Amino acid sequence: MKRLLLTVALATEGILCLAQNPTKTLADTLSLDEVFVVAYGTAKKSSYSGSASVVRSEVLQGVPAASFEGALGGRVAGLQVTTPSGQAGSMPQMRIRGIGSMNASNEPLYVIDGVPVNSGDGGQMSDYTYSTNNLLNNLNPDDIESISVLKDAAASSLYGSRAANGVILITTKTGKEGRPTVRLNMSVGITPSWATRNYEAAGVQEQVNMLYTVFHDYAVTGQGKSEADANVAALNRLNSKFNKHGYQFSTTETGAYAPVTISEYDHSGREGRYFDWDDAYFRTAVYQTYDLSVSGGQNGTTYYASLSYTDDQGRLRMNAFNRYSGRVNVNQRIGKLFELGTNVTVSRTSRSGYNDSRNTGSNLFMQTRNLLWGLYWPTDYKTGEEWTARYGSYAQNALYYDHEWDNQATTLRTAITETAQLHLLPSLNIKSIFSYDHTTSAESLYYGANHFNGSSVNGRIHEFRTLYAKMVSSTTVDWHWSHEGHGLALLAGFEAEKNTTDFTRSTGENLPTSTLHTVGTAGTLSANGYSWGNSMVSILSKADYNWEERYFLSASWRRDGSSRLSPDTRWGNFWSVSGAWRLNRESFLENVGWLNNLRLRASYGINGTLPSDDYGYMNLMSYGNAYMGNPGSEVVSPVNNSLTWESNHTLNLGLDFGFWGNRLRGTVEYYNRVSENLLQDVPISQITGFSSTLRNLGRIRNSGIEVELGGDIIRTGNLLWDATANISFLSSRVTDLYNGADIIWYDPTGSDDRAQFIYREGESPLAFYGYEWAGVDPQNGKTVWYTNNDNAPFTFNGRNASYDYRDADEVVIGNAVPFATGGLSTTLRWNGFDFGAHFLFKLGGKLYDGAYKDVADDGYYWERIRAQSYYDDMWTPTHTDGTQPALSGMDLEDSMQYSTRHLHNATFLRLKNLSLGYTLPRALTRRVCIQRARVYTTASNLFTLSSYHEADPEVNAFGTRGWETPLGKSFVFGIELQF
Amino acid sequence: MKRIVILVIASVLAVSCNDFLDMQPTRSANASQAIGTPDDAQVALNGIMRSLTGASLYGRNLMLYGDVRGGDLTIYSAGRGLDGLYSFNHSATSNSFGGFWSEGFFVLMQVNNLIENIRSLQDEGKTGFNQHLGMALTVRAMLTFDLVRLYGRPYTQDPTALGIPDVRRTLSAEETLGRVTVGENYAAILDDLREGESLLAADKAQKKGYPGYYANLALQARVSLFMADYDTALSRAKAVIAGPFTLYEPANWCASWAQQWGSESIFELGVDSEADLTTSSLGYYYMCYHFAGLTTAMGWFLASDYFLNRLGEDPDDVRWGVMGIDESVEKGESLNRQGACYKYVGGAPALGDGKETRTAVNIKLIRLSEMYLIAAEAALNAKTPDAQAAAGYLNEIRRRSPNLAPATAATVSDDMILDERSKELFGEGHRFFDQIRRGRSIEFNDDFQDVPVSGRQKVITPDYQRNILPIPQSEIHANPVIAKQQNPGY
Repeated sequence: MKRLLLTVALATEGILCLAQNPTKTLADTLSLDEVFVVAYGTAKKSSYSGSASVVRSEVLQGVPAASFEGALGGRVAGLQVTTPSGQAGSMPQMRIRGIGSMNASNEPLYVIDGVPVNSGDGGQMSDYTYSTNNLLNNLNPDDIESISVLKDAAASSLYGSRAANGVILITTKTGKEGRPTVRLNMSVGITPSWATRNYEAAGVQEQVNMLYTVFHDYAVTGQGKSEADANVAALNRLNSKFNKHGYQFSTTETGAYAPVTISEYDHSGREGRYFDWDDAYFRTAVYQTYDLSVSGGQNGTTYYASLSYTDDQGRLRMNAFNRYSGRVNVNQRIGKLFELGTNVTVSRTSRSGYNDSRNTGSNLFMQTRNLLWGLYWPTDYKTGEEWTARYGSYAQNALYYDHEWDNQATTLRTAITETAQLHLLPSLNIKSIFSYDHTTSAESLYYGANHFNGSSVNGRIHEFRTLYAKMVSSTTVDWHWSHEGHGLALLAGFEAEKNTTDFTRSTGENLPTSTLHTVGTAGTLSANGYSWGNSMVSILSKADYNWEERYFLSASWRRDGSSRLSPDTRWGNFWSVSGAWRLNRESFLENVGWLNNLRLRASYGINGTLPSDDYGYMNLMSYGNAYMGNPGSEVVSPVNNSLTWESNHTLNLGLDFGFWGNRLRGTVEYYNRVSENLLQDVPISQITGFSSTLRNLGRIRNSGIEVELGGDIIRTGNLLWDATANISFLSSRVTDLYNGADIIWYDPTGSDDRAQFIYREGESPLAFYGYEWAGVDPQNGKTVWYTNNDNAPFTFNGRNASYDYRDADEVVIGNAVPFATGGLSTTLRWNGFDFGAHFLFKLGGKLYDGAYKDVADDGYYWERIRAQSYYDDMWTPTHTDGTQPALSGMDLEDSMQYSTRHLHNATFLRLKNLSLGYTLPRALTRRVCIQRARVYTTASNLFTLSSYHEADPEVNAFGTRGWETPLGKSFVFGIELQF
Repeated sequence: MKRIVILVIASVLAVSCNDFLDMQPTRSANASQAIGTPDDAQVALNGIMRSLTGASLYGRNLMLYGDVRGGDLTIYSAGRGLDGLYSFNHSATSNSFGGFWSEGFFVLMQVNNLIENIRSLQDEGKTGFNQHLGMALTVRAMLTFDLVRLYGRPYTQDPTALGIPDVRRTLSAEETLGRVTVGENYAAILDDLREGESLLAADKAQKKGYPGYYANLALQARVSLFMADYDTALSRAKAVIAGPFTLYEPANWCASWAQQWGSESIFELGVDSEADLTTSSLGYYYMCYHFAGLTTAMGWFLASDYFLNRLGEDPDDVRWGVMGIDESVEKGESLNRQGACYKYVGGAPALGDGKETRTAVNIKLIRLSEMYLIAAEAALNAKTPDAQAAAGYLNEIRRRSPNLAPATAATVSDDMILDERSKELFGEGHRFFDQIRRGRSIEFNDDFQDVPVSGRQKVITPDYQRNILPIPQSEIHANPVIAKQQNPGY
């Protein structure tokens, strides 16, 4: 079977990008009998009746990312990959066929070499530093042979109660019998700039003018002062804020918009000079990766062994990621009946990050856009010493403080998978997999005594250890039979899985020295530690029948019992039925020469999602509440015995086609995914003591059409040009809610409540909720709100409107679910040169900019800076067609309201990757014993087209943007050698 | 044969499955079986007391609320944090201070859970719970009293106005209670206190960190004062004064802030390093900006000119000893304005009260001084006023201003007593409530640094709508009954 896989691996399926071996023509490889990995086995593309897409390892190459997930964006119809943060090593979000859950996970299940694995954010430190650490970073992308994305029930229901969000099956590389192959890949990249504009701040002069206007307005409007007095007051305020930085201010007029002259103060020598914080904080990040692998085999033994090192810097100085990873996959045949496989991987990742959320003290990106004036300097002009006080805007001088803290998350993963197969009869095979996966996350977070987070306790260090242990045992029996055109395959199995997580934290305070960063040196120690876990037992079965490879019928059934549910509700059944009809095998189409594939598929089935909380059904009394050294308890969750899994009912209809020797090929699919019994965090009256309770009540319907098309445009001797495209149309609706009642919720990213959503029957599961902003009154520059009710202090554009948002009603203001998403790829090969381009696009839908409110605040006297775009667009008495509100000193809360002011069209097109490679002529390289040598260069995020200009339109899975580190524009240079 | 093997395997699996699938947490236990003995009740009570030390409750915000809004404090600069308390720019959707509501009712739920468990254990004939029950009832009364003061009009203004929901039992998730009147809330508070009193009477010793018998009586005095039931207030205050507590001598007053469980402490919440709020502690909120080089000390709140003038009636007042200079400067020189307060870092040396950090400082919730001042005010306003007694009680506290003439039956007045309350209880969460219960306007020192203030005028009257908080929008969304009972003006 593994041998079969390898031959497959060299083939390039329709949706794939760069083929490894340009000497092979595409037509050779596009076999319909291609075998790929599916749930608990393999299947031929031509006989598979489920919905699955395959991605080969080639697309992962040359992409400067720590994990494979990022490279999947735009590659598979129906799979949406978003990268919320541009920090090195942070976690992407994956959504297969929309959002099917409100409370439980929307992430797919990951299965590596037949074993479900831990994924998501690892460790505990993200609670302290607010940046994610992706557990799947432990998998070296270069070890991946192929990735199957299972989308419908027929494909995924064998994974039962965890399959509702789809399943991503990853198969690692294996060796094949024959002479050893040594591969060496090296690449180096740089990220010199961001991919897009990001809230570029206005210049110092503009900032000073704006703050002057705010103070002036407060004095006039708020205190009833005269213009002249207000001018004096505003200049006093400016002087008192910035004299200490060596600047003073004057005006020649007294009006609110008088231009302010900035000059040096106290002979500071800073006249006309401003500090460039952008330049000080951001760097040209360097990325490098080295992969060495050996594979081969003889006498029934095959092996693959690899060693890899990756180093990935973030553009911000505190952020870096590196990984050492090794893998050995060995397969041994013993006699005719027995086969033993061992996959061992050890990898170590190390990551440091910084706060990615809306935090004035520690998010450096936000500081450069919103808080760090060019008037601030990292040194005191009087003494020349480093500036340690918090700046008036609440920013901190990270050039000083970054030496006073550090953080490190080191994750060590060791995973062993043993596979024993007994080929009892040619038609009967018993396979047993046992896997033990042990991941240790060791994290430390240090704040020195001089750091603002450590000063109150004279330095603080936290050390965390989180041990993830995962045991999976799975035994399956499969049997196949064929006779006179009838083919039957049966599979039955038993599976058990146990996951435990052990966590300890030790904290030391009052540190004796800034050089030793260990808890052991501290004067005061405190600790915490406990463990949690879950387990699952399953039986599963599957039957596939076909007649003359023309008609196909399949059915699957799985029964899961989960510890996450109460004994009364923990067992559930999941199943699917599917069929396919290969029309081109029918006599009436058999002779149509240009048609080489035409197939109809249909499937229906049920799978599920478990609650994310291990003990969600229990009414728990927790003991973490000590009082004066004595244990204390508190009730932390209300009882919910009826809690059960969410169930997902998916209908899938598909059409596969291939014309002209498969020169044009593709798939069209329709699906209807109804997710029921959704866990809802139903908000309840806080008088009960709790703010919400979990209920299985909601229902969401996702339906859509997915199209994948591939074609060979030119196919001559040494010129090959192919192109593939995929597009997914998705419509999502919440159809049922508890008592039909709306639920208002907030984007959980970064815990900064950046966007407000509502679950409302008939609306999208990502429906933005807020006030309708009518724009700016050209008469006075005030913000106008459409009231959407009978309140009508005045009318604006013929609608009821008010200057006070409190007169208005909040309404559904937009939908983050796009009309369509997809990707476009093309490859051109000529005489050893290869050129590839991959585009990612999103059509329709809205994005909510949760950061612009900070840089376009019209009414706050906080000493913060504003965006250039706000300065350019704000209303002033001489710029009455300004689209942004006039400045005010009256502490307006308008800009902080959730409203259409911050809502934008999310459509974009991005050139995600562009690559150019050259394979040296074999005749040349063979002389130095090199089978193949290719040099290449890749550019990522080279250009982006969008109507949203303020920042990067490639937003997170909630369709929102906040103060996360933006994505960068990267250039990679690499060389691949094969001996 | 094969069938037998399968059967055997299946039966083994069936037996082991249930064990295999039984996963239990290691830090929590089933709540329904968690309280069975007096020791368990003590653990639950500990949890409750710890929750009271949280930043949303007595650990910080509930204390700040009474002072920041009472005119004795002002701010140097806006945007440092919590200035919404000062500027009154709260609304149901933003700056709602919803932590009072959510944390308050969360703790009330814990208390109700404990009370119900104890009562059902007592019904089964189990004993040994009287102290726990008495303390739980006292905590419930205290929290209800503090919540109704936030959300309802003062009792002395309108006892028929809406207060908070009457939650004296655990509720199911679906229940949506409406608000009852302020009068009904106060009746429930008194019921709890009286029942608590009878249970606690068996052991009158000072309970370090827990509300014992005298804390209960002191709360009765405080609650009665707020109901203008001066006779009851007087009798309860007198009962406490007659108890084992003693006033600090003027010479020892300052040092008392560096001590735990002082002789005046009728009810003190224990704050150790686990409960320490560090840079967001009450102590930090009153420190001078960048006190002792601490760049995290932002100088959030400082004394107003009015308070400083009041305390300045006697430059030798011992209570200057907990004050320190604030950040006020003129032409680069400190003005030596004594606007920072160090009550919550162990007094002016700011060395804490004997624990590892200066911010892990116990919160003194009820002190004997307050009882004297209640007795003074109550004696003066009782049905048969006794100015002589009032002056006597007041002078016990007034001794802390050595240069001021003692009050006499002829000179003692409400103004004098309220001024003394301001001086003595500064930073202890009283001023705002005292002013509005007595129907007095509050003037804010907005002109101090000309910081813009949007939610109120410079002077607010006791009936100003924003004197009480909005019900948070999340409650309005989830509770259709309360949705119709939002406070006016929100």
